[in-house]
Amino acid sequence: MRRYIAARLATAVLVIVGVSVVSFFLTFLTGDPAEIMLPPGATAAQIAQFRAEWGFDDPVAVQYWRFLKRAVQGDFGISLRHGQSSLPLIAARLPATLQLTVTAMLLAIVLAVPLGVLAATHRGGKIDMLAMGIALLGQSVPNFWLAIMMILLFAVSWGILPTSGRGGVAHVVMPAVAIAINLMALLTRLVRTTMIEVLSEDFVRTGRGKGLRELAVVTRHALPNALIPLVTVVGLQFGYILGGAVVIETIFTWPGVGLFTIQAILNRDYPVVQAAVFILATAVVLINLAVDLLYVWLDPRIRVG
Amino acid sequence: MSSDTQHTRTIGRRAMLRALVVTAAVGLAFTPASAAPTGEVKIGLAAEPNTFDPHLTVGRNTQIFVVNVYDGLTARDAGGNVVPALAESWKRLNPTTWQFALRRGVKFHNGDDFNADSVKFTLDRAINPETKATIISELSTIARVDVVDPFTVNVVTKAPDFLLPVRLGELFGLMLSPKHTNAMGKEAIATKPNGTGPFKLVSWAKNEQMVLEANESYWRGAPKVKRIVVRPILEDAARIAALQAGEVDLIAPVPHARVAELRRNDKLVIKTIAAPRIFHVTIDVRKPPFDNVKVRQALNHAVDVNAILRSLYFGHGTRLATVVDKNALGYDPSIQPYAYDPNKAKALLAEAGFPNGFETELDSFTGSIADHSKPAEAIVGFLQKVGVKAKQNVFEFAAFGPRRVQNKTAPLFIYSIGNAYLEPSWVLRWMTQGGLGMHYKNAKLDEMLTRIEATDDPKKRAPMYSDVQKLMKEEAPFIFLFQADGVFGMSTRIDYAPRPDETQWLYPLGIKG
Repeated sequence: MRRYIAARLATAVLVIVGVSVVSFFLTFLTGDPAEIMLPPGATAAQIAQFRAEWGFDDPVAVQYWRFLKRAVQGDFGISLRHGQSSLPLIAARLPATLQLTVTAMLLAIVLAVPLGVLAATHRGGKIDMLAMGIALLGQSVPNFWLAIMMILLFAVSWGILPTSGRGGVAHVVMPAVAIAINLMALLTRLVRTTMIEVLSEDFVRTGRGKGLRELAVVTRHALPNALIPLVTVVGLQFGYILGGAVVIETIFTWPGVGLFTIQAILNRDYPVVQAAVFILATAVVLINLAVDLLYVWLDPRIRVG
Repeated sequence: MSSDTQHTRTIGRRAMLRALVVTAAVGLAFTPASAAPTGEVKIGLAAEPNTFDPHLTVGRNTQIFVVNVYDGLTARDAGGNVVPALAESWKRLNPTTWQFALRRGVKFHNGDDFNADSVKFTLDRAINPETKATIISELSTIARVDVVDPFTVNVVTKAPDFLLPVRLGELFGLMLSPKHTNAMGKEAIATKPNGTGPFKLVSWAKNEQMVLEANESYWRGAPKVKRIVVRPILEDAARIAALQAGEVDLIAPVPHARVAELRRNDKLVIKTIAAPRIFHVTIDVRKPPFDNVKVRQALNHAVDVNAILRSLYFGHGTRLATVVDKNALGYDPSIQPYAYDPNKAKALLAEAGFPNGFETELDSFTGSIADHSKPAEAIVGFLQKVGVKAKQNVFEFAAFGPRRVQNKTAPLFIYSIGNAYLEPSWVLRWMTQGGLGMHYKNAKLDEMLTRIEATDDPKKRAPMYSDVQKLMKEEAPFIFLFQADGVFGMSTRIDYAPRPDETQWLYPLGIKG
């Protein structure tokens, strides 16, 4: 087990380094912060001076080496825009993003599991059709559209939820729903399919044959087995959810990593982009690792040899 | 008319008079001229400052806001005229020396005195390369600062600079306290400013909210509002929703498409003001066929700018005849814009030897302070109609920047320049610099501008700009477009007048009733 974790951690480091290399070159090859940082009155000489001061006139390879040397010590440099160290700037925004994404994931699971189970146990019936209809809608509705519609309805027309920003529990409802909706739809379908499969297995038949009540068969015997694939999917979807959070954080001005990163990318604030990529990649890799370990623990059949 | 009614009426009148006197007295007692600041106003802005360090500000969104905690040596009034602020008066001693007589008795928020040393410290810091000031281009004209006495400074410039008093105003001349700045260090000053301005920064969580509190001993008199909460609300729809839901009292900007609808809401007040951002298409006059003035004039006749203003800006903009905006000094309304006349455009193209038009490219971009790609799309369509087949390139602003700086743009590119100084000479010098993507140069124009810049009195300077505008129109080195209105949305509870220079100056902001 220990060797397994060590190998996974080594791969994780490779993944993070790889992602950072790609993002470094992509942001560099597609823009330059000089024009954004300086007022329009800046002369060619002043632009050149700015680029020299920040080292942007060096070859990209040189800049990358300089970045790498500092990055391994956890120093991603000073944000061009904020004049502060970039890693703490990003780290300070992580709790907001985690609050939002974890809430969204829990919401998606809490809604999807009962819906999927009901659809499976009432296969082909009205409940099944309703659940699948909800799932179809959830997967096809663009989350930014849903976000704006919710703002208009719940905040402007009914005045029961705040329009944007972060504060109390009420603030998290709309952004979390907007992020959760796609995942909820995906998980509903998944739970339904696996439930149908599990319900047709021998041990379920045995359970029924023993005279167990249907509720006990479904919840105590079938459901735990149907949930194992759910763990994998939820883990894999975490990266996708972080991506969705970028859009939703922007719409709701949710002060998280996504919003801050998108602003940094548009402004070519390289140190912040790099710090963000590092933190987000690390988060995704760690969550995936945790999911894999959880999977092993949940399903005794796949003990690592 | 019976005597009874007469009597009643007399009493009624007397009672009314008494009531009036009492009301007036009560009113006076509660609203004296120097009333203590009260209440709270919440504001939702599309962008927030990047820093409160006035030398490291990035972009206009920062520069138009940080002034609320600082003061410059000069300021602007509601009409955009330059007025005294921390300097009570100024004069040019010789072509390269400006003398400022400073206001006495002004204190920074922490109690430090403002004096000539503050001015010298601030400007020395701005031009010191170690500061890496982002705004250096606006102050690099300064050679040195001499303290004459505690309340007089001489600012010596490298070359004559008639704009210096404006430069040292609210955008680039915000004054720092030497003691505080040194004690805080460069990083901390970004979030812990200490100015002389009408508001103190109490707290600031980036991307969340900022709280400003009235500086009750402000030298102009305390502001009217005690507490201002500023929230960045990036998404247009969410920002408007916050105003509609009563979460905030003031928002900027409001998209032009929503103005008509919001004006129908009687709980809201929508105010527009011509923003000094001049949209234009730069023409690479070096490259044929654009070296031919007839071709450039043809392009100007080909584009229906009014139609663009109607359809994309819902009428909230002003067609400009040249690149001088309507609130700028010396704007001459008698100079008419090029008429939209596709037939004339075709005729001019034929005269220039292009009866069937030609092919070219037009660069545009997204992600800057204003939308440049939609107007560019419309322009390309209009050019097509007269036979000029322009291929539109759309870049991200950060990717377009290096193209322009390295003179690698297409022969045509859309751009806009904010006339921060409300002075045409500054805009024209920039647009005719002969580099950074702008290749038009004209010795006659330079000479006219030099003469204007040697004239200190704005009243005398203004009429001199008429000939400049005529020349620009004739030469047509740009497709002249428009300036769009800045739109502010507010609740009926507050009283706020937007300023013509875009500055979000909150000092006059008041709460009604």
